[in-house]
Amino acid sequence: MNAPDRYERFVVPEGTKKVSYERDTKIVNAAAFTIEREEHTVGNILRMQLHRDPNVLFAGYKLPHPLQYKIIVRIQTTSQSSPTQAYTQAIDDLDKELDYLKKSFEDEKNREEEKLRRGY
Amino acid sequence: MSKKKVSALDMPDVPMGQLPEHLNLQRTRLRCKADAPIHTESIQYSGAYASMGVDSSVDIKKFNSNFKVEIVRLTEDEIEFDMIGIDAALANAFRRILIAEVPTMAIKKILMVNNTSVIPDEVLAHRLGLIPLDADPRVFEYLSENDEPNERNTIVYKLDVSCKKGSPRITVKSDQLKWLPNGSELEIATLDKSSKVKSYTSFSCSQNSLPEISKKPLGVKHDDIILAQLGPGQEIELEAHAVKGIGKDHAKWSPVAATWYRMLPEVVLSEEVKGQDAEKLVKKCPVNVFDIEDLGNGDKKAVVANSRACTLCGECIRDVSEGLVKLRHVEDHFIFTIESVGALSPDELFIEAVKILEEKCHRQIVQLS
Repeated sequence: MNAPDRYERFVVPEGTKKVSYERDTKIVNAAAFTIEREEHTVGNILRMQLHRDPNVLFAGYKLPHPLQYKIIVRIQTTSQSSPTQAYTQAIDDLDKELDYLKKSFEDEKNREEEKLRRGY
Repeated sequence: MSKKKVSALDMPDVPMGQLPEHLNLQRTRLRCKADAPIHTESIQYSGAYASMGVDSSVDIKKFNSNFKVEIVRLTEDEIEFDMIGIDAALANAFRRILIAEVPTMAIKKILMVNNTSVIPDEVLAHRLGLIPLDADPRVFEYLSENDEPNERNTIVYKLDVSCKKGSPRITVKSDQLKWLPNGSELEIATLDKSSKVKSYTSFSCSQNSLPEISKKPLGVKHDDIILAQLGPGQEIELEAHAVKGIGKDHAKWSPVAATWYRMLPEVVLSEEVKGQDAEKLVKKCPVNVFDIEDLGNGDKKAVVANSRACTLCGECIRDVSEGLVKLRHVEDHFIFTIESVGALSPDELFIEAVKILEEKCHRQIVQLS
């Protein structure tokens, strides 16, 4: 009866921004990013990529409530970098890794089809 | 074996920047003991083991040099391939995207003209929605509420079956769904008799004439799915409109039957198992991981023949001394299996999943700036 519609899980409503940013007032170089209409698929990957960055001191994500379709990613960095920089760098790196992954998979698939065609 | 504890920093033969063997095992292998697995967390953060001088940060070059894909089996419906060098988060993301976010075409709206069968309208509509359609979703666009249904975002099917009085019961199967390439044939009823007759879809040209679609007719993938049964004198006449959607909205739009991944198992015998014990060990394993090797002069030894088939049932570690058989999982080697329902082949499905994840990353950066 109170359940939200299924399309609410992935359609960002008019007026809300997809990603919003809030600086932490009590700790330097810390910020919380709220990403609307995403869940563990993106959150866990982002957290993993942020952990690989040597400038990041703290990185974590949570879903505040399973019926509110958003994630909050909290990042704290050293003074060498800033949370926004770490975030954009992580997404950029992810993009490049996925590109390489896709290319490797397509190469392997073509090799496999060649093998099948030659009848090994 | 003396169990004197030595600090890892004082071990004499470990060069700075590398981990001693037992720590490396802890870091890269998940160990399955009799009651529960241990070392399950993936120690992937860049500061791990920093006191030993190990640099655990991973940048693009390291990732590219460590990453490998190997396809083990590729058929029309199923693919099994290995991905080496990625993290569990990435593997899980691909699995989630394959199940819920790769789009397909499925029947969404049904215009019921006549249904005198015993199956209620809504049950019939539900069954029609679950039928897998043989349509490539990359050719079509999404249909939102404000859009007109046209040849670019809708596929129209018709089902018109009746059972004559006096003839035996007939079974309505999915091959009786006929594709209408020219759009809907039903007309919207209006009171204004002079205005032009409008149908429920506005196709500007026949879908047959579009080059991407006309390669093969848009039918159903399996033509022996039972939809309903009609007794004598009953009939079903309806029109079904199929649109593009994703699995998150409703499971009928999910393009995979089952997709899963597991980590590569590693089975290690830490002591020699000979004779009768070897026979017992080989028999215990339900998937034949172990095999007997004849040593000559009647002596037998158990060896690990096929550790990839291990399902971690735990039979071989149950009643033996602890540490005899070591069951481990390699934490960055994933064996993916994807079973496709039929619209796209499984390798195309995986490439679509990677593209969708890339697009998510793009959208987030653009939004922030």
